[in-house]
Amino acid sequence: MSDSKATPETKRAESRARLLTSAQAEQAERHYDLALLKRLLPYAKPHKWLFIAAMILMPLSSLMGLVQPYLLKRGIDSVVVEKSEGALMQVVYLFAGALAAEFVVRFAQTYLMQLAGQKCTADLRGDVMGKIQRLRVGYFDRTPVGRVVTRVTNDIDSLAELFASGAVTAITDLITLVGIVVAMLLLDWQLSLVAFTALPPLALLVNLFRKRARSAFRDIRTRVAQLNAYLAEQVNGVRVVQAFGREKECADEYKDINAAYRDANYRSIRYDALLYSVVQSISVACVALVLYFAAVRAGWVSAGAEGALYVGTVVAFYDYIERFFVPIRDLATKYTIIQSSLASAERVFQLLDTDEDDAPHRPGDRPVVEEEAAVAFEDVTFAYRDGHPVLHEVSIAVRPGEHVALVGATGSGKTTLTSLLLRLYELEEGSLRVDGKDVRDWDAKALRRSFAVVPQDVFLFSGTLRANLALGELAPDDDRLWEALERTGAADLVRKRGGLDGRVDERGQNFSAGERQLLAFARALYRDVDRIILDEATANVDSETEHRLQLAAREALEGRTAIVVAHRLSTIREADRIIVMHQGRVAEEGTHEELLAAGGIYARLHKLQTATS
Amino acid sequence: MASPSDTSASPSERGDKRLRAYLRPYEGRLAFGVLLLLLTNAFDKAIPWVLQGAIDALEGGTFDKVRSAALTVMAIAAGLWIFRTRSRIEVFNVGRDVEYDLRNELIDNVHRLGPTFFRKMATGEIMSRATSDLGQVRLLVGFGVLRVVDSIFAFGGAIALMLALSPELTLYAMAPFPMIIFLARFFGKRLYLRSREHQEALAKLADVAQENLAGVRVVRAYAIEDAEQRRFDEANQAAVDASMRLVVLRGFMWPMLLLVASLGTLIVIWKGGEMVLAERLTVGELAAFNAYLAQLVWPTLALGWLLSVVQRGRAGYDRVRAILDAEPEVHSEGTVVPTGPGAMSVDHLEYSVREDGEEVPILKGVDLQVPAKGSLAIMGTVGSGKSTLAALLPRLAPTPKGRVFLDGEDVTDIDLRELRRAVGYAQQEPFLFSTTVERNIAFGMDDPDGPDARERIESAAEEACILEEIETLPDGMETLVGERGVQLSGGQKQRIALARALLNEPQVIVLDDPMSAVDARTEAQILRALDRAGEGRTLILVTHRVAAASRCESIVVLHDGAIVERGTHAELCAAGGRYSTLAERQQLEAELAITEDDARESRP
Ligand SMILES: Nc1ncnc2c1ncn2[C@@H]1O[C@H](COP(=O)(O)OP(=O)(O)OP(=O)(O)O)[C@@H](O)[C@H]1O
Ligand SMILES: Nc1ncnc2c1ncn2[C@@H]1O[C@H](COP(=O)(O)OP(=O)(O)OP(=O)(O)O)[C@@H](O)[C@H]1O
Ligand SMILES: [Mg+2]
Ligand SMILES: [Mg+2]
Repeated sequence: MSDSKATPETKRAESRARLLTSAQAEQAERHYDLALLKRLLPYAKPHKWLFIAAMILMPLSSLMGLVQPYLLKRGIDSVVVEKSEGALMQVVYLFAGALAAEFVVRFAQTYLMQLAGQKCTADLRGDVMGKIQRLRVGYFDRTPVGRVVTRVTNDIDSLAELFASGAVTAITDLITLVGIVVAMLLLDWQLSLVAFTALPPLALLVNLFRKRARSAFRDIRTRVAQLNAYLAEQVNGVRVVQAFGREKECADEYKDINAAYRDANYRSIRYDALLYSVVQSISVACVALVLYFAAVRAGWVSAGAEGALYVGTVVAFYDYIERFFVPIRDLATKYTIIQSSLASAERVFQLLDTDEDDAPHRPGDRPVVEEEAAVAFEDVTFAYRDGHPVLHEVSIAVRPGEHVALVGATGSGKTTLTSLLLRLYELEEGSLRVDGKDVRDWDAKALRRSFAVVPQDVFLFSGTLRANLALGELAPDDDRLWEALERTGAADLVRKRGGLDGRVDERGQNFSAGERQLLAFARALYRDVDRIILDEATANVDSETEHRLQLAAREALEGRTAIVVAHRLSTIREADRIIVMHQGRVAEEGTHEELLAAGGIYARLHKLQTATS
Repeated sequence: MASPSDTSASPSERGDKRLRAYLRPYEGRLAFGVLLLLLTNAFDKAIPWVLQGAIDALEGGTFDKVRSAALTVMAIAAGLWIFRTRSRIEVFNVGRDVEYDLRNELIDNVHRLGPTFFRKMATGEIMSRATSDLGQVRLLVGFGVLRVVDSIFAFGGAIALMLALSPELTLYAMAPFPMIIFLARFFGKRLYLRSREHQEALAKLADVAQENLAGVRVVRAYAIEDAEQRRFDEANQAAVDASMRLVVLRGFMWPMLLLVASLGTLIVIWKGGEMVLAERLTVGELAAFNAYLAQLVWPTLALGWLLSVVQRGRAGYDRVRAILDAEPEVHSEGTVVPTGPGAMSVDHLEYSVREDGEEVPILKGVDLQVPAKGSLAIMGTVGSGKSTLAALLPRLAPTPKGRVFLDGEDVTDIDLRELRRAVGYAQQEPFLFSTTVERNIAFGMDDPDGPDARERIESAAEEACILEEIETLPDGMETLVGERGVQLSGGQKQRIALARALLNEPQVIVLDDPMSAVDARTEAQILRALDRAGEGRTLILVTHRVAAASRCESIVVLHDGAIVERGTHAELCAAGGRYSTLAERQQLEAELAITEDDARESRP
């Protein structure tokens, strides 16, 4: 729990914050921002027409806003000058028309902009989810679910602000700015230069804030992920927390993360407030500066009344400076949002860049072997963590149609063997062939679809029983579903729960552990494929049910290749061959009788189990 | 997932009051922030005056005045910087504080809730409410306040100036503004509902992602990634749609508000024109009046913005409240501190769950007695109610009053924390936290860093027959186990959970099938260890294994929520019921093997 705080990501973010202090690094950072924005571009591309249309409508809608004051003036004129009711009414109609037009344009503009933004982010979200589906299982062993979920939800939501707030329109602000600068220079270059002196300090401040704000926003992203991961764990393990009376301690840990999150937010608020107000104040100061300079200049030119000559320019300038700062102010507001969004973008792209593909294509010189084996492990050595192999030179061959049982002490590597078979983990040493073809040459999905599995940890999805039994199928065959249920003896249970449409809550918590296992068994039977893996498929059921399951299994496994992992030796007596695993090695191999006769580990295990009964 | 409060479509007033209560601790700071905001606004308004004076002075050629005016403006700008910064910090920080408090309260209540709640609200949904929805509440408090102050100031300023020019015309100009109230009503309700739908869609998205990841092994093993992606894409599209509906609504609200402001202008042209004709107003005054009126446009529009922030905040808050206000099923009103030796008795315990409005009975009158330091095995078919019964003993589910007793004391009268300290419990499916092995075993310890902690942890691990194996793990006790213990084998998880339960040496220990995932050798070792441990405490063991049950002093067999057999191993074997069939079957296998063994051994 507490250990999750020192995530690789935080470490990375910290080390990068430390590294990037030199000016050079700053340059790199800016490039990096651009690179991030550039990576977002492909998501905008398919919707570019929406964006373009929205961008075109934007100045149009401002224009509409200008029509109204003009009409107003006409209205006043018509009353005052022409003193005519008719003219007035005409203006009133025109005014209403302008209003309607503005409404249409504005509505269309916001709608298009938001639609484009929503589509972009939805595409990105879909891509992230797609990436998650392609990440190797080992990645999820290390990464809390809550953190990955944060990437898909909160981080993308925050990134979406870039579009929703219209920060992407910052570019139009820049264009406006350039236009005003040109106009000012044309009007009076001296005063313009005076006005522009306000810019360098502004740029300096903005740059300073940018760095600080970004680090605050990065911190925020990390904390959100931690909050989610911690909360998810607490929700899932709430019963344990309650049973041990650790509510307060656990809540305190969560509150610490919450406080860190709040503090990071305080920081971002501080930088945002500073930046926002500094722009506001500088814009005012700038006007004062121009005035002051105008006065001084007037003083130079003549000591007297000629100051009046400059008044026109000054007044005009006043107006321009106001306008000059409008886009700058807007930019400043958007700047914070951009920084926050980019911090999220970092996270999201980090996930997209994770180089841990599930079942990557591994070209190699691995000929298809003609062999009398459906599954063949050959000198397989495997480690989850470098330097700690859990399998040592395991060689097992399973003939087509053969039923092989894997037994052995807990932690001896039985489940690991089945995971390798499904290529949930990558084999590094030795080879593993299914139908003579190395698993690394199989299409991972095809390989996995050729097996039906009852995993040791049963997992049911929330939804209907039907969806759970016919995983991933769009149009399940109800008859076959019932058949599978009848076989496993779960049919009565399903009937009691409203049939195949019966509801399953998250993780199947409305079913007992044994019932869940029966359902998982039925799920595997429904798969109806040639190879079946049962990993402790009867661990949580009583002997009566187990007996029934065995009969069902005998029938169902007829003619199929089966790998059965079990601790209860009674369940595997009928296997064609029993393989005894011991500390990651194959210790013994043979039929029940042979192994008993050999008087090794199996015989001892067997004696123990039967003696205690 | 439907939330408990989803049925109430309209925001509740009680909710608003409650939300205000969250502001109370920060009232002082908020007031300070608002004061600063007011100052900021006042300064802002002062600047044009000073500048106007300066320009006049420039015109008049009195440059000294211009210079001093310019300096004044500079000073104001500096002051503004400070005020504006500070005011924003104060106001927004209060938003964050409220968010912080609400989130803390949320985890506290999550810890109080029982299985019924978590069946209704999935993990992803809770996560979404704790972040996304709370974020909306925070915006309401922070930005909301800022906008209110700004708008009031803008309205107030403009109206005051208009009044000074012509009270009569002001009255006309303001005539359409009451319409805003209706608009606020109309759009307010819809904004609330749309916001809520949008938040729901986002939560759904979180849910789909969360479940997909939690079940990643099944997703991969069954190669259903495409179907999962489809499910996600649907939720994704639904979120886009919900969001666009909100956009459309806001898109309509905006011009409506603009219309109100513009109607005012129309009336002013009309009536003001008449007044000019009647020479009660000069043209210049009319123009000035109109300029002030134009200043009202922005705050009117900001009002719409405010409305949408407020309604989103309320929607978010109501969704958060569904967790905050969820009534815990298990109340902790008891005060008795258990001191007895740990005798448990259950007296006609009935228990049912609500499913789709129907009561489904799970336990149908269970009677049990376990003397102090005695042992009881609970057996029974799949789904017969064993786990339900086990969880009711330490009140991990709502145990009815007057049914379960610890040393003669009704468990519902016992202080909850003390009860759970006295009655240890290990659930059927072990749940480990994503920390080290050591921290997991020490989970129930008050002083996991104390001097004798390591020793106690090791002896508990020893008792659960996992100590040796822990030493073979990559980092020994310091090995990180991953979420739910994914980086361990099934049997390792189960024994670590067992060690965790044994560590605190409770008077009564309830173990729900603690050996389902271990091999025969380990099982035998654990059973011996339990025998030893059982000497000092009461043991209630749920199991499917006759071998384990037969070691207990008494055995009950559950079937369909009722006890169908009870007695000692010998009695039950003799009785010829379910248990004896089970025992025979398991015995038969044993004997079969033994005779085989014997036959083999007797052979040369
Ligand atoms: N995802 C993982 N990451 C790291 N180590 C793992 C992981 N899964 C298993 N291990 C380790 O690998 C070893 C073998 O585990 P495996 O699950 O294969 O055992 P098993 O024979 O199935 O045991 P059991 O009978 O208890 O289920 C154990 O020591 C375990 O701690
Ligand atoms: N929400 C629910 N709605 C309907 N029935 C439920 C619900 N939750 C649990 N049940 C049922 O209650 C019964 C008892 O469940 P419990 O977990 O106590 O069984 P158990 O005896 O522990 O079984 P197992 O041996 O499989 O662990 C089961 O039949 C289960 O399906
Ligand atoms: Mg295993
Ligand atoms: Mg159970």
